Parts: sequence; C-alpha cells; structure tokens
Amino acid sequence: MIRGTIIGNVWATRQAPGLAGRKLVLVAARDADGRASGRVVVAVDTLDAGAGDDVTVAFGSGARNVVAAAAGPDNRDLLCDAAVAAIVEGAG
Amino acid sequence: MFLGRVTGSVWSTVKWPAAKGLKLLLVRPYRLSDLPPTVAGAAATNEPLDDLVVCADLLDAGVGDDVLVAFGHAARVAVAGALGPGQKPDAPIDAAVVAVVDRVELESERGARR
Repeated sequence: MIRGTIIGNVWATRQAPGLAGRKLVLVAARDADGRASGRVVVAVDTLDAGAGDDVTVAFGSGARNVVAAAAGPDNRDLLCDAAVAAIVEGAG
Repeated sequence: MFLGRVTGSVWSTVKWPAAKGLKLLLVRPYRLSDLPPTVAGAAATNEPLDDLVVCADLLDAGVGDDVLVAFGHAARVAVAGALGPGQKPDAPIDAAVVAVVDRVELESERGARR
C-alpha cells in the first residue's frame, strides 16, 4: 500500500466494461518524509473520499479485496488494480 | 492504475501466439510535476520521467489521448472480456489501457479540463 493525498477525479466514457460505474480518484503519493514524491496513481474509491483527503491505496489482489465486498469471495474477474483502502486520520 | 498520455505504438511480427492481434501502445505516465503548479505539491517536485509503459489497447486509443492504464491481473481481465466461471485471463501482458479519459478535475481547478 501507499499513502497519498487525493488531488482530483477522473472521468471516462470509453472504458473497459469492468470499470463501469467506478469512482476514480487521482492520488499523489507521499514519500518517507510525508512530502509528495511526484508519483500519481489512479485508484477506485468506494469510501467516498474527497479532494484533499489523506488516504492509503492498496494495489493488486488487496485492491480487489477492497472492492469485492459486494462481489463475494471470487473476485478474480474484477477489473481493479488500485483502490482507496482507508482515509487516514493520523500518521507518525 | 495510472494516468498517462499515448505517445506512440509498438508492433512486432515475432511474438507469443496468444499476443497476436493485440495492439500495443506506448504510454508516458503523468508525474505530479506535469500537473498545473496550483495542485498542492506539484511545483515542488521535479523528478525524472518514468519509463514509457507498453500497454495492450482494445479501446482504440490514439497518440495524444489521455488514458488510464491498469497493471497485472486487472490488465489481463480487461483484455479477456467475458470470462466464464473459474476461467483465468491468460493474455501474455501485464499492462492494458482500461479507459480513454474525458476529463480530469483537479482539486485546485474544479470544472477545468486539461
């Protein structure tokens, strides 16, 4: 997982069928010092996070597990490789 | 996933049979420093560009388009289309265009289009 800040939203009408209806957010990753590292990722957001929120983003199979609550145990046909896993309140 | 701009394409004749017919694009990922300096932290970073990423494309994206690219299993799912129960996506790829972006709304410029 990475920690980052939501800096915007992304919209697309021409998209793979598995992506339909997903809310997509742009997340600026943070480095070890808590500053923006320069890397920007796009994540599926199921937690209704907003711009400026500090979040964690899970990748790969972990991201599918975030989105899979409705899909049940077999989530291998989900099209998702990054998802907002938590809205961060504090970090030390 | 990441947001990137299509900069070109790649083609080949010698390839894994299952890769036949897959269109491959070159995509340059956006860095924070590519976004307007009004985005928090955007001006503060001036890092070297990432490598270009070679992505399978079923959405007919073209050079200059902004696209979303998924990695790994999600990329193979995107290319596989409809999968039967228990069926695994088996395309020999690890990156695919999953959306052609219409609009990016940034925190600092709500409603603006890049």
